[in-house]
Amino acid sequence: MINEANKPESLHQANESGPPMDNATIPEKELFQLNRRRFLEAAGFTFSAVALSGCTRPDPELALPFAQLPEGVRPGRKLTYASSCVDFPSGCGMLVSVRDGRPLKMEGMPEHPLSKGGLNAIAQALPLGLYDSHRLKTPQKRGEQAEWEDVDDAILKTLASIKDSGGAVRVVTPTVTGPTLKESINTFLKQFKDGSHITFDAVSHSAILDAHEKTHGARVLPHYLLAKAKVIVSFGADFLGTWISPVEFTADWRTNRVPTEDDPQMSYHVQFEGRVSLTGGKADRRYRLAPDEFGTVLNHLYALLSEKAGRKVDASKLGESPIAEADLSTLAERLWNAKGESILLCDSQTVAVQVVVNAINHLLGNYGKTLDINKPSLQAQGNDREVLKLIDELKAGKIAALFVAGTDLTHNLPEHDQLAEAISKVRLVVSLNEREDDFTSLAHYACPDHHLLESWLDAEPVCGLVCLSQPLLQPLGNTRSILESFALWSGNKSTAYEIIRTSWEKNILTRSKSKSFRKFWDQSVHDGFVQVSAEAPKVSEFKADAVVLAPQAKSGEYCLSLYTKVGLTDSRHAHNPWLQEMPDPITKVTWDNYVSLSPATAEKLGVSDGDVVAVEAGDANIELPALVQRGQHDRVIAIALAYGVKGTDRFAKIGPQWLESRLTVAEGELVGKNAAPLIDVANGSLSLTRGDVAIARTDKRHELARTQEYHSMELPRNVAPHGGEYRDVVESTTLAAFKDDPEAGMHEKHFDTSVQLWPEDHPKKGHHWGMSIDLNLCTGCSACVVACQSENNVPVVGKDEVRRQREMHWMRIDRYIDGDDDDIQVSYQPMMCQHCDNAPCETVCPVLATTHSSEGLNEQVYNRCVGTRYCANNCPYKVRRFNWFNYAHEDSLVNLALNPDVTVRARGVMEKCSMCIQRIEEGKIDAKRRGVQVADGDIQTACQQSCPARAITFGDMNDSNSEVHKTEDNPRRYGVLEEFNFRQSVSYLRVVRNRDEQHSGKDGHGEHEDHEHSEVTPSNSNNIVNLDEKRTSETGGKHV
Amino acid sequence: MSETSPLRPALVTGDKSLGDITNDISAPMAGTPSPMWWAAFLIAFSALVLGVVAVTYQIATGIGTWGLNKTVGWAFDITNFVFWVGIGHAGTLISAVLFLFRQKWRTAVNRSAEAMTLFAVMCAGLFPLIHMGRPWLAFWMVPYPNERGSLWVNFKSPLLWDVFAISTYLSVSAVFWYIGLIPDFATIRDKARPGLRKTIFSILSFGWDGSARTWLRYETVYLLLAGLATPLVFSVHSIVSMDFATSVLPGWHTTIFPPYFVAGAIFSGLAMVLTLMLIARKTMRLEDYITIKHVERMCLLMLSMGCIVGLAYGTEFFIAAYGGNPFEQFVFMNRALGPMNWAYWTMVTCNVLIPQVLWFKSIRTSLPAVFVITIFVNIGMWFERFVIIVTSLHRDFLPSSWAHYVPSLVEIATLIGSFGLFFTLFLVFCRIAPAIAIAEVKDAANVKKREVLLEARNEPPQIIDTDPVPVNVDPSMGC
Repeated sequence: MINEANKPESLHQANESGPPMDNATIPEKELFQLNRRRFLEAAGFTFSAVALSGCTRPDPELALPFAQLPEGVRPGRKLTYASSCVDFPSGCGMLVSVRDGRPLKMEGMPEHPLSKGGLNAIAQALPLGLYDSHRLKTPQKRGEQAEWEDVDDAILKTLASIKDSGGAVRVVTPTVTGPTLKESINTFLKQFKDGSHITFDAVSHSAILDAHEKTHGARVLPHYLLAKAKVIVSFGADFLGTWISPVEFTADWRTNRVPTEDDPQMSYHVQFEGRVSLTGGKADRRYRLAPDEFGTVLNHLYALLSEKAGRKVDASKLGESPIAEADLSTLAERLWNAKGESILLCDSQTVAVQVVVNAINHLLGNYGKTLDINKPSLQAQGNDREVLKLIDELKAGKIAALFVAGTDLTHNLPEHDQLAEAISKVRLVVSLNEREDDFTSLAHYACPDHHLLESWLDAEPVCGLVCLSQPLLQPLGNTRSILESFALWSGNKSTAYEIIRTSWEKNILTRSKSKSFRKFWDQSVHDGFVQVSAEAPKVSEFKADAVVLAPQAKSGEYCLSLYTKVGLTDSRHAHNPWLQEMPDPITKVTWDNYVSLSPATAEKLGVSDGDVVAVEAGDANIELPALVQRGQHDRVIAIALAYGVKGTDRFAKIGPQWLESRLTVAEGELVGKNAAPLIDVANGSLSLTRGDVAIARTDKRHELARTQEYHSMELPRNVAPHGGEYRDVVESTTLAAFKDDPEAGMHEKHFDTSVQLWPEDHPKKGHHWGMSIDLNLCTGCSACVVACQSENNVPVVGKDEVRRQREMHWMRIDRYIDGDDDDIQVSYQPMMCQHCDNAPCETVCPVLATTHSSEGLNEQVYNRCVGTRYCANNCPYKVRRFNWFNYAHEDSLVNLALNPDVTVRARGVMEKCSMCIQRIEEGKIDAKRRGVQVADGDIQTACQQSCPARAITFGDMNDSNSEVHKTEDNPRRYGVLEEFNFRQSVSYLRVVRNRDEQHSGKDGHGEHEDHEHSEVTPSNSNNIVNLDEKRTSETGGKHV
Repeated sequence: MSETSPLRPALVTGDKSLGDITNDISAPMAGTPSPMWWAAFLIAFSALVLGVVAVTYQIATGIGTWGLNKTVGWAFDITNFVFWVGIGHAGTLISAVLFLFRQKWRTAVNRSAEAMTLFAVMCAGLFPLIHMGRPWLAFWMVPYPNERGSLWVNFKSPLLWDVFAISTYLSVSAVFWYIGLIPDFATIRDKARPGLRKTIFSILSFGWDGSARTWLRYETVYLLLAGLATPLVFSVHSIVSMDFATSVLPGWHTTIFPPYFVAGAIFSGLAMVLTLMLIARKTMRLEDYITIKHVERMCLLMLSMGCIVGLAYGTEFFIAAYGGNPFEQFVFMNRALGPMNWAYWTMVTCNVLIPQVLWFKSIRTSLPAVFVITIFVNIGMWFERFVIIVTSLHRDFLPSSWAHYVPSLVEIATLIGSFGLFFTLFLVFCRIAPAIAIAEVKDAANVKKREVLLEARNEPPQIIDTDPVPVNVDPSMGC
């Protein structure tokens, strides 16, 4: 698809002269402020203008159609451009589909060395951020709309006087990996005696860098190479969900997670964590461990490994381990056996803990193998010490000018009021943020940056890999690129395009082997990234003397754990309704943050889901609804950051408004509450965990909106029939069993699907589209959910409708949590229309609105549907979605994000996954036009395309060489509810967990006579189970 | 009257002459309505207006104004539909089936039962219409030649079978009801003074002249229609039950449904007839025509139907357990013990347990007790449909999609509105047509001729059977 990309130069020109979207930028207020005089003036003018206009040619700017069609542009046909998601430091490669000048759909770029074709939900949701009418459209001066000239004059004037007086100038951004932007900021700051660029990451990994400064002499973030790791041990690092570069890590982690008959091998993944993260859900063994106890367990692990390396660590200093010694020594054994092929990851803001992590990775010889510090990652450069220093300087009134770009500084830091007061002492406060966020409202000037899809930017997420982001449409508002802003304030009036080209010619070309800049540039824009040489940081040998055992666990009753959700890693995305309505992969809650508590803790506090609890830490106190989360550590109180964002009350009426509807956001409130005030700044870092926290229940209630009401495959005990206690819709097995029998874990077969009531009188002679989903690879990250929403114009329905179980997502991820709390088994299952050959929905429709195509697709004919909903009732997978109302399409700007290939459904009709039939048809037409057969992989569904784990395979099941056809013979293949003989076109590949015994919750299905859940009877696992039980009682005793 | 045994108690009490019967029954139609009628009408009409407002709002806004969700696609709408169809069953049963079995006691109730059938089926027919996402396209359910290319209805869909079953039932019931009304319309015509009223009833009575030939034709048509209508009693609800039975949903997908639904329908229909009869008896002073004996017979019929329904409930559980399908087993466990078990136990209590008191004659003959029991049965039968529909849907195959269901105000208002429609129609019917079949009651009553009555004042009563009313005497001429 890259080959079809337009020439970069012509694109740029098209941007300069392309059709302006003026209607989107006219402020409505001004249009309607008319008095009588103004009206007469306007009317008089209009009449004369009408008379005169007959004599003149129409204004050429309003002529929309191309008089001469530019080369390569065909109306209605999509063009794909390579770009990069540089809004995130992880810097994923993107292919952006643009149609008639509108960027519509973000796709992963398969060639990209890091993301390898994956893209996360947030990047998928970019179009909605672009077409957001609440973005700042013009610069602002003290909250009032202003002109760029005035704002620049004023800023430059103040800067000039600061220059003279030698005042301190600070630029605060989140991690910036782009060499051009870095250079722009540095050039700007060089003008001042005291100018510095401070990197503030709301969720910082500062401690990892600081620890490497101690152990390796350089403040670097290793580039974690998970593809090479056979044993992955993670302490709280949600590397598949939110940690540093999840898309890249998912792609890498995937490499060793596909056991086959010939090679039944898998990496071994152990997760120690307090809250339940998406990554913890995928772990082969998950231990509950409060984040403040990471250090203690790491000390023990370090001691065990040191012993193996021939050194003895004084056991008396280690303290008591909350994890059983036996488990830890088994783990140490496995790590030791996988020397150089293992990796230890840790998400802790304590430098001392990270030092022990480095020591262990060093002991295991992982540096240079699974951790690269010679070409380190630049994806997290946040520096907590500098941020805290800035806060002190601000409070002391030492800062003369403060520029903030890309982060809501005051929202994301604790002690908001003091900070706001300190900022009010600053002479010049400038915000370059896109929206009128909390910081911008404190700023003197708002100089809004373009949206990512409107700007030229670059990124270097990992040393030596430089990515480019190119503008895909004329900026919708009167905004200005951050590059231009800083250049202008440095006295350079270049455009962003000139700036980035100059910078590349000077800095990037020299690092490449290329001679001609023009060629090099064209190729880079075409590809979206370029690999160049990189200067290795000055890393020293491992400093063994820097290793000190981590401090002992805190003794607080509870341990607060702040985190970000998979769909909302940053407060900037809080304005994106797709992301707000994306169910959290673990809790399945939308539109809210909450206090996650373990079942035991919730019982102790006497709260259940939706009871509001008050959490107090330091001076801060917030009230949020509680959510009982199985598998969470009893001491841990987990709260998501990035909520309570200013302006999110705009979503109050996002859903249908009717007699009994409730607002998505209550009067005077915001979407969720900001948990940043709970951040602990005491230890010289911005710590997201703290022990000095109190929790109490209140009498209030706040009903959460969850897309899933029942969370386990184990049926409620009081209604479970004998022998049917466990509904294994997600089949799973262990690697040990898989090695013995690749079909292990198969649903007991009481059925013969070859029996057919009717003759096969509708053979699929041409194509027979099918899909296969590898549940072993699916991480539940929900990128596919948003990809599908974007591709198929799925409406957002708001919190109240989700509460009423009426979300419209065509693709959902079913999540089941089974097993006991100390060793939970989380199963993810993407679920969408199964396109059954014997479809129950088809026979019951009285008007034939849902029919079967000759290519095996279950088609929904919206025009024909009268809305009896019988098809939905009869669908065993409950994948059909009914249009209960006419969902809002009033915002004409947001409507630009609609895919013109897909009908916007009216109220009263049923809809569901079409297997992206528009893409199938497009692929078929394209193949026909080229006179070839549709090749396997030519057609990709939206969900498949962006899956970071490449868990989804789609293709023609009649093509014996297709990937999807091959999965038919995969021993792990099974169909959900296959015994009903629906003959689905979607099949699943069984989960294989790298462990010896199944989880205790899944005992006895169809295998044992004894179905009592309290008794675990698998004969081959008695020893291990006993071990577990012992450990449970030990740890249980400790926490009481 | 020859078939009336002297040993059986009379079906009409109070020594009525033919003229008395005509006067008594047509009394509510003459003059201004009583305050009681007005009160009842006002309540019913208000409920109807509430329903109209709710349905208008729902059609204007969307099905979302109901409490349904992605998992529970039907709830009050189809519950009400099946409930009202069920109510409609007793009418045909009493008119047709009991007619064929020569159950004379039916004459007191068959007219109102038939009217009830008609109105109940009207109420029922509304719900499939308004439950559609796009009700303005409801005509697409009818297979008529059209210009939409190859688009046609789906004859495999039980919803389409419903369209035919309900419309057939409605038309046959209407015709049957109307045929039965013709002699009575003639009676009213004859009583009416010349004017608009007389003209209308002249048209409605199709020039009925009461001749033997007319009676002969009439009786033949009535018999034939009764024969035609009888299979409908069984077919309509069997087909309605197939809306569920042909699906794949555990709890719906079961072969017991057709007989189970028919029994349930008759049960609920009888309960509703009794409820209405007891009200009518009181308010319209028809104590002599609707006697304790009628009530008792209806009670016995209701008791037997209640037992059949109870047996069906038990059989469902047995088959679930015996069939070994864990999905089906779960659905029934969930019905009885799950989050909506209150609905299930309401149903069992009202439909199976409470009617058992009808084994006692003292209760069968106590009108207040019977009235209360019929109300319970009505409630129970509504809940039966609710339980079948909602508890099967809300927890089906994939635990991830399990959902709760809470009705919205609009839904509740629609249910109230359907009762409003039913009672409004019924009350209007009482004013414009005789609520009891005059001609048939006369046939069933052991009426003495005026002379006999006069004589009786001087002489001891004699056995009436020796003085049969000749068949060819038009009872309507008796006055």
